[in-house]
Amino acid sequence: MKDLIKIRDLAVRFYTYEGIVYAIDDLDLEIRQGETLGIVGETGSGKTMTALAILRLIPYPGKIESGSILFFDKSIDQELELLKLRDDRMRSIRGNRISMVFQEPGAALNPVYTIGDQISEVFLLHRRRELAQRAKQRLDSLLSDGNGLAAGVKRPFWGWQRRIYDKIAKESHAFEPRLLGRLPLFRRLLWRMGYEAKLLTVDMLKDVEIPDAARVAVQYPHQLSGGMKQRAVIAMALACSPELLIADEPTTSLDVTIQAQMLELFRRIKVDKGASILFITHNLGVASEVCDRVAVMYAGRLCEVAPVGEMFVHPLHPYTKALLNAVPMPGKKLETIPGVLADALNPPPGCRFHPRCPSAMPICGQERAKLKEVSKDHMVACHLY
Amino acid sequence: MELRAYIARRLLLLIPVLFGVTVFIFAITMFFSPTERATLYVTSPQGMRDLPSIIEQYGLDRPFFVQYGTWLNQVFHGNLGWSNVVSMPVGRAIFHYLPATLELAIFATPIIILTGIFFGSRAAAHKDKPVDHATRVVAILGWSLPTFWLGLLLMMIFYGYFRGLLPPGRLSSAMEIMVTSGDFIRYTRINTLDAILNLNGPVLLDALRHLILPVITISTVNVAFIMRLMRSSMLESLGKGYILTARAKGVQEKLVISKHARRNALIPVITVSGYLFAALAGGAVITETIFSFKGMGWWASQSALRLDISSVLGFALFMAVMFVLVNLVVDILYTRVDPRVRLGGGVQ
Amino acid sequence: MSSWKLMLRQIVRNPLSLAGVIIIFIFITLAIFAPLIAPVPEGHRDPYLIPHDGYSITPQPPSEEHIFGTTQGQYDIFYGCIWGARTAFRVAFLVMAITILIGLVLGSLSGYFGGKIDEVIMRITDVFLAFPALILAMAIVASIGPSINTVIIALCVVWWPSYARLIRGDILALREEDYVEASRGLGASSARVILRHVLPNAIYPTLIMASLDIGAVVLSAAALSFLGLGAPEGYADWGQMTEFARNWIVGPQNDPLKYWYAVITPGVFILFFVLGWNLLGDAFRDIFDPRLARR
Repeated sequence: MKDLIKIRDLAVRFYTYEGIVYAIDDLDLEIRQGETLGIVGETGSGKTMTALAILRLIPYPGKIESGSILFFDKSIDQELELLKLRDDRMRSIRGNRISMVFQEPGAALNPVYTIGDQISEVFLLHRRRELAQRAKQRLDSLLSDGNGLAAGVKRPFWGWQRRIYDKIAKESHAFEPRLLGRLPLFRRLLWRMGYEAKLLTVDMLKDVEIPDAARVAVQYPHQLSGGMKQRAVIAMALACSPELLIADEPTTSLDVTIQAQMLELFRRIKVDKGASILFITHNLGVASEVCDRVAVMYAGRLCEVAPVGEMFVHPLHPYTKALLNAVPMPGKKLETIPGVLADALNPPPGCRFHPRCPSAMPICGQERAKLKEVSKDHMVACHLY
Repeated sequence: MELRAYIARRLLLLIPVLFGVTVFIFAITMFFSPTERATLYVTSPQGMRDLPSIIEQYGLDRPFFVQYGTWLNQVFHGNLGWSNVVSMPVGRAIFHYLPATLELAIFATPIIILTGIFFGSRAAAHKDKPVDHATRVVAILGWSLPTFWLGLLLMMIFYGYFRGLLPPGRLSSAMEIMVTSGDFIRYTRINTLDAILNLNGPVLLDALRHLILPVITISTVNVAFIMRLMRSSMLESLGKGYILTARAKGVQEKLVISKHARRNALIPVITVSGYLFAALAGGAVITETIFSFKGMGWWASQSALRLDISSVLGFALFMAVMFVLVNLVVDILYTRVDPRVRLGGGVQ
Repeated sequence: MSSWKLMLRQIVRNPLSLAGVIIIFIFITLAIFAPLIAPVPEGHRDPYLIPHDGYSITPQPPSEEHIFGTTQGQYDIFYGCIWGARTAFRVAFLVMAITILIGLVLGSLSGYFGGKIDEVIMRITDVFLAFPALILAMAIVASIGPSINTVIIALCVVWWPSYARLIRGDILALREEDYVEASRGLGASSARVILRHVLPNAIYPTLIMASLDIGAVVLSAAALSFLGLGAPEGYADWGQMTEFARNWIVGPQNDPLKYWYAVITPGVFILFFVLGWNLLGDAFRDIFDPRLARR
């Protein structure tokens, strides 16, 4: 099976007043179909930037300098080069086939719109034809069993509405509905699509185990708890059954008990929906619970990629080993990694970890270690191997 | 909080402010001796002989708080006093001069707010692009223009050079006669509105002709502030997490700006717009003076110039009530735009 | 300090803020070298009073003797504009300095101690903010008697409340900061905590707001002068010179723009002076804090 995402030689740089920041440096990584890939690293190691690069949402003043990101489109059995896609095509992928869950659910939700409005927006953006189809069917059933005076008065109007919805269902950007959508008052005539989207939204909220979903849909973000907000954000990301779900530290800002529920939810999503998940975290314990494979990043570069069992039993890269030692465990003395994270403005030459590395050799300060496969599926970038 | 309780609380808070403003203004006049203050009531050289009796009549030599108490007592009986500068009771003067000012405010405020919001959000959306630089230059330039000088320049061009194309005043004399004649009913004394209600085209056109320059002057010097505020508020909003979420959902950039960012960015602009309206309704002193568009600002400034204390005090009462009303409207608007805000409770 | 260097580089790099710096620099030069640029005629008592050449009411166009022309009453426009720069600086800096001082004292008392003191001071600021500033200033100037110093006093009276509020707000926020708590926990006296820890941090936003406000102060002072509530007649003051032109905006039938020089020149000086400060203030605000709008 082809990899869902194939990243090659990705470089992201930020052009700031102080100088150029090398946020991601020649990154090679693939996400397989149906797997959960974890990216682990310290703050500032480039985890989030990798995710944003896939969506092409690197914030100003950052730029994707070079490289390629291939997205395998199952429906046409072809690989799409995301970095060269037209803007509107890229937009039709965002939120639809690749979606993202952010670290702070409180910040990720717009405070002035209801949860329902924000989730149904996804449907209205990417599922216009399906919504129009549903609206048409509902009108059909209204027309067939609608009797009495009110129905009689409304009937011709419903017929006209049905025609419009039919047009949208056949061709989502037909001229007539598009014109209608632009006229301030007439726009309201398309309310049935919004209504269908709301119904789907409530289903979606139920799907992420939100109790009393219908009520939550009409509430504003500030009325919900952190865990509920994060579930709503996940519902928003899953709305269009994406092939790739990117989760950027989705549990970090939540209470520990809620974290466990959230991890359970992610495990279930993977099984139920068959989606690939890119799970970004700085917490190795969390990674070990949900991921199939783990990639370790340091200062914008990949150190090691391995299946999760292998990584925890046979870590190869000195940084991975140091990270594992820094996980607090009962009965074990906590170790810290000496030194500080490499300065992104003036990164050390050669291997970026060498100033902090216990087993550094002279070559480490001069030459960069290439990522190489040392055993099946286990890749490491270190001069030791 | 319930709306009625909220309004009651607002009105209660008004009392100390009103007390403070009036005491302060009263205190300012105490720089003058009773005789000096009595001369303000004298209109002819012969009247100077009556000074002692005026002092006696108005109690100008009595202690400060007695005089203040007398005035307060009058106010409670619905008598705001006599406005010397325009020779009519203060209450009537307010109703006489308010319509002109309201007319200016009604035309200028929407222009200022809408252009400010439009260009401010465009500048933010295209930060550091030509649009941003252009609006910044225009805004700072407008902000730096002395109002009186701009007014004089406009008059020089449109009244002087173009031979009376856009004249000063509220109406030309022919129209003034028509308006004061019996057939024309002055419902509101706001000329444009009355002309529409009377279906009188010539008066409407004439009133609009007189409005153009004052409105341009007020708008030019005030729009900059709304524009810059909208820009910075919009930039802040565009940096928020929910904007990234919207983009990650696949929302078009145009909608990200107009739907997700703008509504959040409007919140501070609403407050300032409210104060702007209140300030304009209190009279644009300079603009009204230059264009002889006689409204509240003109009346209040004339009163302040000649230390016509009962007028200034009346104006102060009016302004304070005005601010409270605007505050109320702003707070209610807040709750419409931002669901987190409850009346009187601030952001939860 | 590197942040100062960075700030300087940002100002120089942005053409608009650079223009602001240059404009202000030119005005400083004009103010300092006024006696050389526009020499005081011999036997003239007060250099700030514009020398006048006769009493004719009609303004005279630019000539070799009066390069910018003369206003009504034959006051030399060039002399008035150059010496007016000194007046503008004096008004702007005195008003700003006094306002900030009052604001700092009352704002920090109010913010740091809270409670009754806070309540009283805030209600007093309410009183001042509820009344249109220009009209209040007019009343004050009219009651004390018009002069440049009265204008300064009046502007201080109407301007301090917004600073007291700004500083109070900053101090309320700072009071919760850990290092303030810490020094209080170590037993430092209130005065010491305010002076050593709170004020130095509250002063930056204040100075940014001040740089944005200088232009507004000069405009208000000019407006007061324009309304006849400023300097005595003939004083080198841009607002008053504009007022002199008020009756001359419309020339005779055959030449409606005849007296343009009397109208335009003093206004251009005000415009550029204010523009310079606003450009600089805007740059400061962008550099330090994009959210700090005028409150």
